[in-house]
Amino acid sequence: MKKTMLSLVAVAAMTVSLSATDYRAEKPDTWTAKTVETSIKALYGEVTPAEGEIKLKAPKVASNGGAIPVSIKTDIPAKSVAIFQDANPEAAVAVFTVPEGANADFSMKIKMKKSGTITAIVEGKDGKIYSTKLSLEVALGGCEG
Amino acid sequence: MKKLMLALASIALMATAAMADAPAAVAPTEVKMKIKAKEKEGTVKAKVAISHNMLTYDQAKKKGKDANFITHITATVGDKVVYDASTSQFLSKNPLIKFSFAGKKGDELKITYTQLKGEVFFATKKIK
Repeated sequence: MKKTMLSLVAVAAMTVSLSATDYRAEKPDTWTAKTVETSIKALYGEVTPAEGEIKLKAPKVASNGGAIPVSIKTDIPAKSVAIFQDANPEAAVAVFTVPEGANADFSMKIKMKKSGTITAIVEGKDGKIYSTKLSLEVALGGCEG
Repeated sequence: MKKLMLALASIALMATAAMADAPAAVAPTEVKMKIKAKEKEGTVKAKVAISHNMLTYDQAKKKGKDANFITHITATVGDKVVYDASTSQFLSKNPLIKFSFAGKKGDELKITYTQLKGEVFFATKKIK
């Protein structure tokens, strides 16, 4: 009886993620990959990204590596958008599913240990992969407590 | 006497389940989040500040604690998913996220996040 109750709670808690994609569960190697190339490969396979109209913004010089504002926006009809960087021990930062009715328009604050390059990938609904990069300097490294 | 034993046993069972590594075995907990959601001409712009120390593996080691960071953030309006992010230890402490979607005033936006050990937290806000 207790076991059924616990599993019911588990099912209820999991329904939130069922309607969306848990890339951490589905593509675990993406999150342990140390380089941007291997992370992209783990997530999207062997792809040759094309240059696309993607607005990737971040400050040229980030004063605080622990909280760098990054925004990515594109009008390319997208299935998913992924952010990587080459300054931390692992390359993947976040992978967004773009649900129906939502815009590929995201902002977030990220950590970067040192200066480096952010790569943004857009997985188009047309099956193509688009990418853009942005390099920035980090004044104060961001993985210290 | 037997009833007491059963009651104690069930408390013990639930406590162990809560402490076990089983993902999502604990019911989602409501927490406070700073949520701003405003609709303009059919598009809702949302801004969410989540309080979370986002301890990376490195930081956790230095502090002698367990790593703990947000691994998934979902935003829903009713049963429709409007934002869905799988995330790493590299979002900043107290992450601030912004996103936009087609929606309307008066609907309720729900933000749910999962952290490394599987616990789920959520907050809601009416779209203005």
